[in-house]
Amino acid sequence: MQLKYYSLLLLTFAVIFFTACQDEEYSLPTLEGGLHNDCIKRTLGPNVVGLNLEFAYAMALPKAEGKIVSAQVEASIAGGAATYMEYRSFSTNSSGVDVPVTIGSPSVTSATKTEVIFTKDTCAATLRYFYIIPEEARGKTVKFTFSAKASNGQTVTYEMGPYTVAKMDMKLDLVVSDNNNSYISIADMAVYNAATAATKAANIDLVYLYRTYTTATFNHALVAPAANPDYKPGITLPAGVGNSAKIWKVWALRDQHLARLQYGIYIDDIDFQELDFSGAPDYAINLRAEAGTWVETADGKYRAYIYINKIDNTKKEMTISIKRYQMK
Amino acid sequence: MKKYFITFIVITLAAFAWVSCTDFPVDEDGLLITERGQCYVGNFELLGSDFQTVRTKAPVIDTTAQTINVEVFYGTDLKNVYPQFSLVTDAKLDPKITGKVDFSDLANPKVYTVISGNRLVKKPYTVYITVQPKP
Repeated sequence: MQLKYYSLLLLTFAVIFFTACQDEEYSLPTLEGGLHNDCIKRTLGPNVVGLNLEFAYAMALPKAEGKIVSAQVEASIAGGAATYMEYRSFSTNSSGVDVPVTIGSPSVTSATKTEVIFTKDTCAATLRYFYIIPEEARGKTVKFTFSAKASNGQTVTYEMGPYTVAKMDMKLDLVVSDNNNSYISIADMAVYNAATAATKAANIDLVYLYRTYTTATFNHALVAPAANPDYKPGITLPAGVGNSAKIWKVWALRDQHLARLQYGIYIDDIDFQELDFSGAPDYAINLRAEAGTWVETADGKYRAYIYINKIDNTKKEMTISIKRYQMK
Repeated sequence: MKKYFITFIVITLAAFAWVSCTDFPVDEDGLLITERGQCYVGNFELLGSDFQTVRTKAPVIDTTAQTINVEVFYGTDLKNVYPQFSLVTDAKLDPKITGKVDFSDLANPKVYTVISGNRLVKKPYTVYITVQPKP
């Protein structure tokens, strides 16, 4: 009986702890013949008109079978004027620096197609493709067909996309100053001085001002022209300027496109669509660098995010960048 | 031997399977009602729509008078602020704070009641807000 229980215990331990450890001998993988390709998209975040979509297209075949003669990309919508494909293949050295190796002649773009002709005896390369998102692609989807041709007649293709291009606009590094360009137009994505603002009164959505007081904290402010005069002291609005924008203060929303800092945060079309401006005030005071404001224009036509890149208390000015979405 | 083995198995099973099922009462919010009778606010915060503090200085909390006095920055949008109360352990707040609160009616300060862990002590705290003077 005793033996029986010991056996049962031993069996239990064996089942729990037993691990099969079979040795498998390593063997070199067999090289697969033929021309092969692969592709990755390197850019992150929403696809905004004017920015680029970057891809890395890799192609290779065994040396004994021939060499690569050309690489081509066809976009469903022709890219902007600066669209190109690299004619250099990059490798990263031990210091992390990308080192180029020229493999062909500079790319030629014709309508939707961009092609690189190889001039060096190359059996493997990775080429980068930079597609400048054109105005025609706004709100649409774009896709890409990468292809490569080898000297032995083989061809390979790789489909990428479709990618949706955002509807929003973007404007970077506008400087607003307390005593000069202090009028902001979301509709025009521009800043104006008082004289010009008077000629574009209907389009002025915000007034920038900088004030310091010993008894209150005011500093940098963005105020709707129609806001309570308490929040725009010393401001005499140009004739006709009187819109009432809605403003939400925001902190730590450092959109990568606008801020160009290390934060991987992106504002996309959907963010504008889902904002709720009910009960929003028409002023935002005591603004700081790296803060921002969501803004809706008085007519509800536009929503925007104004990011504050930089403030300068001495010059009484701010550098701002704007993303704007048309609601209707 | 068999006796020891069975005893060992039974003890092991009992150790793994035993679950303490002491009944502790819960309130209407599903929160545990404990034996704590303490009932006070430890700290108070007021955040703007950007989730940054709108206080100019530390709040003054009087646990005897049951008042909280806070000064906020000039121009604070008091219609859209998020109050935060830090309460003594096991206590809860009534009314509950579920989002933005409108504190703009300064003449009628808001009152929040702290309820102790044993749900027997209730202390209403009045939140008095003053705004930095107009420049």
